[in-house]
Amino acid sequence: MKLELRNVSHVYAPGTPFEVEALRGVSLVVEQGEVLGIVGGTGSGKSTLVQHMNLLLTPTSGDVLVDGVNARTLQKSDLRRRVGLVFQFPEAALFAPTVEEDVAFAPRQLGLDEGDVRERVSESLRAVGAGELNARSPFALSGGEKRRAAIAGVLAMKPEVLILDEPTAGLDPATREELLALIVGLRQTGISVVLVSHDLDEVAEVADRVCALHEGRVSATGTAAEVFYTDPEQAPATVQVASILRESKPSIGTPVRFEETLRALRSLQGDRGD
Amino acid sequence: MTSRALGQFYPVASPVHALDPRAKILATAVFVVGLFLVDSTIGLLFVAAALVALVGVSRIPAGTFARFMRPVLFIIALTVVFQALFSREGPTLVAWGFFEVHTGGLRLGFFLALRILLLVSSAGLLTATTAPVALADGIEDLLSPLKRVRFPAHEVAMMMTIALRFIPTLGQEAEKIRSAQAARGADFSEGGPLRRARSLVPVLVPLTVGAFRRADELAEAMESRGYRGGEGRTRYRELRFGKRDALALAVTLLILLVGILL
Repeated sequence: MKLELRNVSHVYAPGTPFEVEALRGVSLVVEQGEVLGIVGGTGSGKSTLVQHMNLLLTPTSGDVLVDGVNARTLQKSDLRRRVGLVFQFPEAALFAPTVEEDVAFAPRQLGLDEGDVRERVSESLRAVGAGELNARSPFALSGGEKRRAAIAGVLAMKPEVLILDEPTAGLDPATREELLALIVGLRQTGISVVLVSHDLDEVAEVADRVCALHEGRVSATGTAAEVFYTDPEQAPATVQVASILRESKPSIGTPVRFEETLRALRSLQGDRGD
Repeated sequence: MTSRALGQFYPVASPVHALDPRAKILATAVFVVGLFLVDSTIGLLFVAAALVALVGVSRIPAGTFARFMRPVLFIIALTVVFQALFSREGPTLVAWGFFEVHTGGLRLGFFLALRILLLVSSAGLLTATTAPVALADGIEDLLSPLKRVRFPAHEVAMMMTIALRFIPTLGQEAEKIRSAQAARGADFSEGGPLRRARSLVPVLVPLTVGAFRRADELAEAMESRGYRGGEGRTRYRELRFGKRDALALAVTLLILLVGILL
């Protein structure tokens, strides 16, 4: 499915001394089956933005379109199933006595029969590499395990767009790698993924396109290479290295992913050998 | 923070905000007690006018202050209705089967409604113009004479400060968890009271777990910074009870005296 935000603005607590203009006319598109990285500093509006994608927040002005249809006209429960949102630190919302029960919450809310619920639970737990945690208490898990369980809880709705808000914050490197692999795997099954992160290096690894936010506005948008190479100072480590080499060796191209960059560097070495 | 609750601190600069919290607490206490001694409608109206003027001085927009009052409007309306229907004083205005509305009942209803409104407004004005920490400091000072009889004034004030400090934090946390569960298809507005209460379980359980975790973290953070209770502890902000504060208290007393005598 194609998700589109058109000129979306959001003001928190309007008309009070606490008034904050968090989004100022943001337009962007999440295409079917792509990974869109949303980057930006603290307070740039990333988290506010993603909560508009399933209308947990309604825009003060502007529209959210799902396959061209205004999302406000859709049923909220249906919209929230199709656009799955995993909040930052989602483990804070684990509540059931067992992981299995917790992951089953969303499919039960959908009114599926018990067999389907169980199938979805084991399927999504396996997808996040937490199949063996099913009978454990979510409160007795490690940080990384809790995070997996919480993400499985949203995957169990079988969303068409999955939004992950800072999914790797505070995780150990191994779990982080697995999560990024999960994102790539989901895209292969046709699910769109929106990855919100302030870690440019991880966005570089998985994102097809990147949207950069600054003070509630879209400051740059395009393919990962387009966005990162226009401002190499504010870019992933790979792009910073490659853009320095590019001054003398333009043949290096515009690699973004670590593997790509490695390959480009090796080919440069090969050139010198000739 | 999208909704404003009754008596939430409203940070603007005004003469009322600048008063010593102890003066404001005492004045509010005097006001609340005094209100019950005002027994004429004209007296009550006088006190009400004074309070309206005070809200004006506090620079809290009248509309915002009126919105603070919204939660109690129901109780006030109920008071008027009950008094009007069940009091049989004075000549009958309307008789409708079993129900009779008498002028005396109506008057009594409005009198009580105004009294409740004034009670709530005065407390609301105190908390809206006093930062929670200042409020707790003021209470600690006012209770400190009781330390002689081993009343733990500092500890009580610290508990209040912490509780007040964490109300918005827990509120935000609850809002976040609510959103997270809503994203998983939770619906908090459908069904009867029982179903609605049940739908809160996915919010209350993580909220409670989080509160205990926070309490542990806070205790550790306080200990690691050397907190050991109130003995010999000094304050960053010393309270000063000046002439203005004495004047404010005197004016409050005067207003009530006039109200009682009218």
